[in-house]
Amino acid sequence: MEANQEQVQDRVKRGTIHEGPKNHIIAFVISIFLTLLAFMAVANTALDATFIKIFIVILAIFQAVIQLAFWMHMKDRGHFFQILFLATGTFVAITAFIMAIYWVWW
Amino acid sequence: MSHAEAHLDKLPPEPEKATLEGRNKVLGFWLFLGGETVLFGTLFATFLALRGSVLDGPTGTELFDLKLVAAATFILLTSSLTSVFAVQAMHHKNVKNLMIWLGVTVLLGFGFLVLEIYEFYHYVHEGHGFTTSAFSSSFYALVGFHGAHVALGVLWIGLLIIQLKVKGLNTTTAPKVYVASLYWHFIDVVWVFIFTIVYLMGKVG
Repeated sequence: MEANQEQVQDRVKRGTIHEGPKNHIIAFVISIFLTLLAFMAVANTALDATFIKIFIVILAIFQAVIQLAFWMHMKDRGHFFQILFLATGTFVAITAFIMAIYWVWW
Repeated sequence: MSHAEAHLDKLPPEPEKATLEGRNKVLGFWLFLGGETVLFGTLFATFLALRGSVLDGPTGTELFDLKLVAAATFILLTSSLTSVFAVQAMHHKNVKNLMIWLGVTVLLGFGFLVLEIYEFYHYVHEGHGFTTSAFSSSFYALVGFHGAHVALGVLWIGLLIIQLKVKGLNTTTAPKVYVASLYWHFIDVVWVFIFTIVYLMGKVG
């Protein structure tokens, strides 16, 4: 009963009830699966090298988004500035990537 | 009911967000993580640009042992999950479990460091020193910087456990635990890109 009241209070204040471990364990299983998939893709010599590179980078981005959303709570409400800060950092990082690729390969 | 338990009972549901100072600490830490993204982003860009310049030194394909990388990845991923459990224990006001999960996180982080030190030691013996080639310099700068972050995290969370033991869980210590767990997750996210771009891509060629 006491715990229930607490949850109700929490809902009024922030719009979410404290979540259990379920989502976090799902995020862990997905991360393990994506990691295994990336290692298996590299071990498969029948695949084209460029395809493997693009494929594993997409897997990495997907895994990063899942960990940011669930483990770092970015999916929760009230994370506008968090997303803004990280997006700004990512923008500068992508600029550096484009510079590196332009500098070396063209 | 003991004094400590009575105190825990009065703690709000999410103690890290209970005070303005706590909320500011978390927000400020995200600004820091934005800066860290730039730091690691530029190190990754440098590595991408220089990874083909091996001179007479060994290439990534010759050096990297994917079994070791897979073990390190699994250890760090698991430690990220245990730090989630630590924050959940904190939300349940279970200080004992909070300290245990933080302790497991520190141990796993330490295990990761041992693997990395062994790996670097092995590489230097294979003729892959810091100044061997542009590839080796950018490799050690990127992966070593990540390792330094893990070392700092191990030290930081280790000290937090001691502080929790001394001062207990309250609205001052709770934001510290939350921020440390954010830091640890961020390090794990950076590692996802390291094992993909440095090791797996290095193996592909």
